[in-house]
Amino acid sequence: MAEETILSDDFLRELINVGEVDILVGVHTYNDASTIGPLVQAIRVGLLKYFPRQRAAIINADGGSKDGTQDLIRAASISDLQHVSRLQALRTLHSISTQYPGGPASGNALRTILAAAELLRASACAVISPDSIIEPEWLERLLRPVTRDNFDLVTPTYRRHKFDGLLIRNLLYPMNRALYSRRVREPYPPDFAFSGRLASHFLSQEVWSQEVGRTGAEMYVTISAIVGDFRLAQSFLGPKSRVEHAPADLVAAIRRSVGTLFWSLEDNFRSWSANSHSEPITTFGPDHELISDPLRVNRKRQYEMFVRGVSELDTVLKAILSPPTLAELQRTATVPEPDFRFPDELWARTVYEFTAAYHKSVISRDHIVQALAPLYRGKAHTFLLENRDSSAEEVESKVEHLCQEFERLKPSLLEMWDGRK
Amino acid sequence: MALPQDALWYKDAIIYQVHVRTFYDSNADGIGDFRGLAQKLDYLQDLGITALWLMPFFPSPLRDDGYDIADYRSVHPSYGTLDDFKVFLEAAHQRRIRVIIEMVLNHTSNQHPWFQESRSSTTNPRRDWYVWSDIDTKYRGTRIIFVDTELSNWAWDPMSKAYYWHRFFSHQPDLNYDNPAVRDEMWSVMKLWLEMGVDAFRLDAVPYLVEREGTNCENLPETHTIIKDFRARLDREFPGRMFLAEANQWPADLRPYFGESDEFHMAFHFPLMPRMFMGLKLEDRKPITEILQQTPSIPEPCQWCLFLRNHDELTLEMVTDMERDYMYDEYARDKGMRLNLGIRRRLAPLLDNDRRRIELMNGMLMSLPGTPILYYGDEIGMGDNVNLGDRNGVRTPMQWDGGWNGGFSAADPESLYSPLMLNPVYGFQAVNVHSQKRFEHSLLSWMKRLIRVRKSLPVFGRGSIEFLYPANHRVLAYIRQLAKDTILVVNNLSSSAQAVELDLRRYKGNILIEMFGRNIFPRIGDLPYLLTMGPYQFYWFRLRRI
Repeated sequence: MAEETILSDDFLRELINVGEVDILVGVHTYNDASTIGPLVQAIRVGLLKYFPRQRAAIINADGGSKDGTQDLIRAASISDLQHVSRLQALRTLHSISTQYPGGPASGNALRTILAAAELLRASACAVISPDSIIEPEWLERLLRPVTRDNFDLVTPTYRRHKFDGLLIRNLLYPMNRALYSRRVREPYPPDFAFSGRLASHFLSQEVWSQEVGRTGAEMYVTISAIVGDFRLAQSFLGPKSRVEHAPADLVAAIRRSVGTLFWSLEDNFRSWSANSHSEPITTFGPDHELISDPLRVNRKRQYEMFVRGVSELDTVLKAILSPPTLAELQRTATVPEPDFRFPDELWARTVYEFTAAYHKSVISRDHIVQALAPLYRGKAHTFLLENRDSSAEEVESKVEHLCQEFERLKPSLLEMWDGRK
Repeated sequence: MALPQDALWYKDAIIYQVHVRTFYDSNADGIGDFRGLAQKLDYLQDLGITALWLMPFFPSPLRDDGYDIADYRSVHPSYGTLDDFKVFLEAAHQRRIRVIIEMVLNHTSNQHPWFQESRSSTTNPRRDWYVWSDIDTKYRGTRIIFVDTELSNWAWDPMSKAYYWHRFFSHQPDLNYDNPAVRDEMWSVMKLWLEMGVDAFRLDAVPYLVEREGTNCENLPETHTIIKDFRARLDREFPGRMFLAEANQWPADLRPYFGESDEFHMAFHFPLMPRMFMGLKLEDRKPITEILQQTPSIPEPCQWCLFLRNHDELTLEMVTDMERDYMYDEYARDKGMRLNLGIRRRLAPLLDNDRRRIELMNGMLMSLPGTPILYYGDEIGMGDNVNLGDRNGVRTPMQWDGGWNGGFSAADPESLYSPLMLNPVYGFQAVNVHSQKRFEHSLLSWMKRLIRVRKSLPVFGRGSIEFLYPANHRVLAYIRQLAKDTILVVNNLSSSAQAVELDLRRYKGNILIEMFGRNIFPRIGDLPYLLTMGPYQFYWFRLRRI
């Protein structure tokens, strides 16, 4: 039986017309017509301004939009048929779009983009999230480290509000940093760039037919580059503004990110177990910037969901956590909201015990990952409370403390991993 | 010898540009001459060209390679006599080769007797034959053309204690075309050569004939009035002769020089040439199609002149700053290759001596709408010598064989007007007519075939053009059509093989006949016509409904 192809004949025909490129910018979409116009416009301007001589293409992998998203992407082409007098372009710029099968899934989209990059022999690729509000300069900041300095993966850093990106600062960054020993500020990057070499490496991995490949590809990209000993850098892009959408589904986000991180540890034990300390990676611009303007957030709801979760998931947590950790959690959950604190040490220990439980499959792995969500809400509550009046420097100091806790407790995970504990 | 009577002969012409000095030396003085050129007419006839464009051969101090004329009515003694010219002209006509000569209207040498008289006193009758001023601040909106050598368009003349106007070198004072006596005299000069039998003039530097305060002194209405006057006299007294404009301008600014068929018959399409090189390097048809989209239509009897290289630098005046930077970086990384706003290199070195690219560029030259001009030596892939000053590096002796002085001259090598090309890649022992004549697949033999195929149908010179826009931007495809003749031209600008789908449904039922090998390709149907093309390959197909 012939191997299933992810590229339709029409898309393949369009790729033939594009031909070899130096730079490929991928955008994955699903019903983004209301916002995609400015995004592709910024990409186009960025390519023309910073890479005017390079052969470039914009490739859209769409999850089945019905709102005309694809037409808006295609309209960004610059050719001798579509003369755009405002833009000075040496070359034709193809902006093409395809719908990948299986419904919207960022992993499927990324796989389509990677396949296009490999077929077009792109030497540098960027993936831009449709949820981002970008400036043309982002293209340069992401791609230049690849084209000029031969980095294989460039992850972003952003200027964020201190209460934005809580999952990253309270879990993904500290845990990924401790386990994989690289200080990647955005290990689950919405916008990133990579070399053609790394694109081929990603594409050849066996993950694409698995759930993690379908939904957790961005996290996998970072981990795979670290484990594969590719050259990593991060680049400051600017303010991280998001297109307003419905509130994010926390459980889904944890599945995609933390679930992928847990899953990756199985095959990469030799890699992540070898180092006890993390190392910084090359950073272009600041490795973070925080805005500490006052912002009203509903902490109480986070607290309530934490308390309810600890209570309702008692059976599940008993299977996952050690008795001392569970007891401490339960005791913490009894503290009234104004005095409630989720200590860094307890949080790191809890996460590592979840990690070991996932490894040992003490219950359904999906249930393990889902059960982490209410506990994370408790940690998020503490972060919001403790940093209510903190300056950017104070917030960063607290993040660093949490990271050090994760690094300090890493040996305990290793002990749990091989059953010594 | 009577040439075929066809008033539009220039539309079907294949023009060969040569400097008498460079082609063949008949008297062993180290300088090419008219007798030598006449001896090589059989070669040119065999090549297939139908017109010769001669660079200035008039008496001159030769400070600008003859474009500084000191006497419009004679021949520079280095090149022979007026009688030698007449013999050459007759010999060319016998071979059905027409002769186009230069007429430098805008300026003379400062050694011309007219200027000597003009500067001698403010009351001299020829004082107003040139543009004089007591101050050097008039016409401030005028650009300087030779930016590498000139700081101003005014030069101080210590003899007459006044400034004179010059758009080119300071030793080339501009004539004053506001003076009717100048216009009459220049027509008198042209008439002399037309009566001798010359077929056409290339009128040099025409946009600059008239100066007016508050303008950029280019393309002024008064200039067009002067040209219309010359053209009316030409049509009246010498029907069938031709004016070719040298005006390095954007197509929209060039369009008025055709007038309503009452100014120039032909004009060089300057902006197209650098964009052909750009398109090839970018592997993208966009620069070529864009400039042709911006090219206005011209009256039916008029024609564009197309060229790849000529005696000047590859001019980059008619490109954007971004495009110029790109061209410099890609084609003239060595700063010695740059001159003014251009690149002083020949075709073969520009294209890295890549036979496929040389063929593709010549294929486009011969199939895009217009009359092609070949620069001498490019048909054998001659190289250049950027170590020679100014533009002399592309004006070295023609390489006829691998023997003494490359067969150009029997003089001592030291006495040649210019050093020969000697390096192992482009030197006369490696690149010469004699050796290339021996091989069917040499560049020279290929060029002969190309010219023969081009001449086989008038559609290339007179037909309409319609671009196809296949989604593959590396492929430049167009339809040339004249009456029942339809030609499909497909060029792969890429260094790699390409697949291209062409929408030819309008021609459904036709079969394609490849014009060089005469092979038949599949019949056109309802589906997009798929072609696969090798690197830099091009096809000329004749569409036939059989």
